[in-house]
Amino acid sequence: MLHRLSFIPGRLLRAVPVVLGVTIVVFLMVHLLPGDPAVAILGDKGTPQRIAALREQLGLNQPLWLQYFSFLGRLLHGDLGNSLVNQRPVSEVLFQAMPVTLALLLFALVMAMLISIPLAGIAATRPNGARDLGVRIFTLLGQGMPQFWVGIMLILLVSVNLRLFPVGGYGLADSDHLYYLFLPALTLAISMSPTIIRSLRASTIASLGSDYVATARSKGSGGSGLFIHHVLRNAAIPTISVIGVNLGYLVGGSIVIERVFAIPGLGSLMLTAIFARDFTTIQSVALFIALFVIVVGILTDVIYTLLDPRVNFSSKERA
Amino acid sequence: MNKNNPTIFLGLVAITGMLLTGCSTGPGSSAASVGTPVAGGDLKIARSSDAISMDSTSASFENYSIEVYQNIGESLFTVTDDGKSVKPWLASGYTESSDHLTYTIPLRKGVKFSNGQLVTAKDVKFSIDQDTKTADTGWGFINAAIDKVTVVDDATVAVSLKYPWAPILADLSLFSNAIIPDNYGGKTPAQFFDAPVGTGPFIWGEWKKGQYLKLVKNPDYWQKGKPLLNSVTYTVVPDSNTRKLQLQGGQTDIDNTPDWASFASLKSSPGVKVFAFPSTQIDYVAINQHRAPFSDIHIRRAIAYAIDRKALVKAVLFGNGSPANSLIPPGTPFYDKNAPGPTYDVAKAKAELAMSSRPNGFSTSILIRAGDANQGSVAQIMQAELKAIGITMEIKQLDPTAAKKASLTSEFDMNLSAWTMDIPDPDEWTTFATDPTSGNNSAFTFYNNPAVNALNKKAQQETDPAKREVIYKELQKTTGDDAFFTYLYYSPYAFATSDKVGGYHVSPLLTFHLENVYKTK
Repeated sequence: MLHRLSFIPGRLLRAVPVVLGVTIVVFLMVHLLPGDPAVAILGDKGTPQRIAALREQLGLNQPLWLQYFSFLGRLLHGDLGNSLVNQRPVSEVLFQAMPVTLALLLFALVMAMLISIPLAGIAATRPNGARDLGVRIFTLLGQGMPQFWVGIMLILLVSVNLRLFPVGGYGLADSDHLYYLFLPALTLAISMSPTIIRSLRASTIASLGSDYVATARSKGSGGSGLFIHHVLRNAAIPTISVIGVNLGYLVGGSIVIERVFAIPGLGSLMLTAIFARDFTTIQSVALFIALFVIVVGILTDVIYTLLDPRVNFSSKERA
Repeated sequence: MNKNNPTIFLGLVAITGMLLTGCSTGPGSSAASVGTPVAGGDLKIARSSDAISMDSTSASFENYSIEVYQNIGESLFTVTDDGKSVKPWLASGYTESSDHLTYTIPLRKGVKFSNGQLVTAKDVKFSIDQDTKTADTGWGFINAAIDKVTVVDDATVAVSLKYPWAPILADLSLFSNAIIPDNYGGKTPAQFFDAPVGTGPFIWGEWKKGQYLKLVKNPDYWQKGKPLLNSVTYTVVPDSNTRKLQLQGGQTDIDNTPDWASFASLKSSPGVKVFAFPSTQIDYVAINQHRAPFSDIHIRRAIAYAIDRKALVKAVLFGNGSPANSLIPPGTPFYDKNAPGPTYDVAKAKAELAMSSRPNGFSTSILIRAGDANQGSVAQIMQAELKAIGITMEIKQLDPTAAKKASLTSEFDMNLSAWTMDIPDPDEWTTFATDPTSGNNSAFTFYNNPAVNALNKKAQQETDPAKREVIYKELQKTTGDDAFFTYLYYSPYAFATSDKVGGYHVSPLLTFHLENVYKTK
């Protein structure tokens, strides 16, 4: 088993140039934007003299390459630098926001699975039947409704009218967080599940018609046992990659959701940093998101390998 | 001249003008009272952004940070509720020398910092000196007229000026001149501002950046029996819809920036009260005189006459505001409600254009902030109105920071801008807007009228309020005639609170005095 996972170190090594590339692209892009932290901080009451003094103080007058290499140098020492806006270590806010977003994504993923697996199963057992039609309408609606709109509608219905869940926020006590994240996670799950349902439905239909299911049936298998062990396990494989790719998109989607639900995660942090031109914070968040996408990619392959003994990335990489 | 009065009136201007602004909307512009004050409770305030830094000497000390800090740090003087004058706060009065160059200020007796230390003259000198040092990167520019602060005795300081300077008490009331312990109470500045210590009604609690900032009651506050609340929690809720829903859902007590579009629906929501407090905000179009053809006064006047300000107030502020007639906004001392600023008159606009260097019209552009719905509406209305007199105006949208950069470097033909005051004296604004030597080329417009410059200088050094009023009246008239800005409208500050919140009042200078606020069950 373990030898099939030996592709991981190579994959991690190949991630290094990707991450480096991301830092360069993000660094150049944020510096291409007009305006800098000194302008953003001083606002309309700034004068050219005050801006120049603040730029000097923030080290923004150094050549761009020097700024980049000092960022990279610090990074290699595990130091993300200080926020240009409040002069506090970026790691402080980053490590505060990171678990919030990760919890949101994980919660959304679990909910998306809870919605998708039964619905895909229901749809696939009687293709083109009434239940299948119902599920397909749901997927169409789910894909068609913008996330922020779904979010606001859920708030109006569930929070303001029924008062079952809070209107945004993350809760002050640790025990509150899951309760506060329920609606935003559900919003993300609603937008994520149509893609999963479609993929899972198609592969389940294919799986149900396959020889090995017929064989299992002839040997007396049936019901949920057949569905979970034979159908779902095989049907899930293409869906795993769909989820992997979607998780990357979901990080982007969480920016909107975090704003609508006032969640202090990476999306909110990124947005605030961009408006304030807080270069060091933008770079660190972008770097973390890049790492996250890479890790999700590797994890997808790991799950793939574990689910399907025929898949062997290690041998492919050696070839 | 002894002026040991509890209230020092810096101006004799009638407040009627101010009351015209905004009071007609919302149930009240005075402190909201709900039943009997009840002690205790946590006041939750939902804001669109988090504070950045409590470091009152840094440039990052912006509005969201100041709003929090003013509950911790207090100054020698404070702004009165109407925003028109200051009154002694940590000072017990003041004496002005006959040459107007020295102000001797006795301190209020028995005031302690929240760390238990008694406030002394040494603390006052340290606090003001630290602020003055930050002229280039912080708020210290406000102390430009101060020569030195001297400790007279333990309970008295003397502030000496470089030249007679009428706004000095207003300057001393600024948040950056809040009194903190001498030498940061033995801490480094960074350590101190991590958990600042002052004399205010609340003390530093906890800050989870991007989530919430909590202040707790100062049990030894010098105003006996206050504050009434146990704590204040500022939460970050960027989306205005979510803030509104949180207020309606009872999850927050105050939405501190409801948008005008939802103001009316909030007003009719059960359990919610809305306020339109008079402000010092003026929205205007800055016109760059280094770009053709704006050095021509007739062109500028043509634009000023072409704008229907009442229509803007209706469309953008949903009726909550008033057309602007003067450079000085109504919440500021010496505002002249009769200032003859240009008003909507298409015939006059066409006549001015006919007299100008471009009688057949011209093409120009206006800079606005992308994503700002109000600015978008104003620009579109202006576009149509200018088209009617033969001026083609393109709308250029930039993201807020890029727009600030373009604004600061005068890279615009016209620029949709706004201003709010920090001190209860018009000088901060008149100097910024009209003085070409103040470092920003007259609010980046390159406006330079020697007559206005002379009036502005004269007003700075004249300490008699009655005489200052005459000078500022003249200044308002001349700047209006010059049409160097196109004044648009004055908008009040919108706030919405739960109906269980009492004693809530916001001054035109955005001072809050949360020690007076209470909640009912």
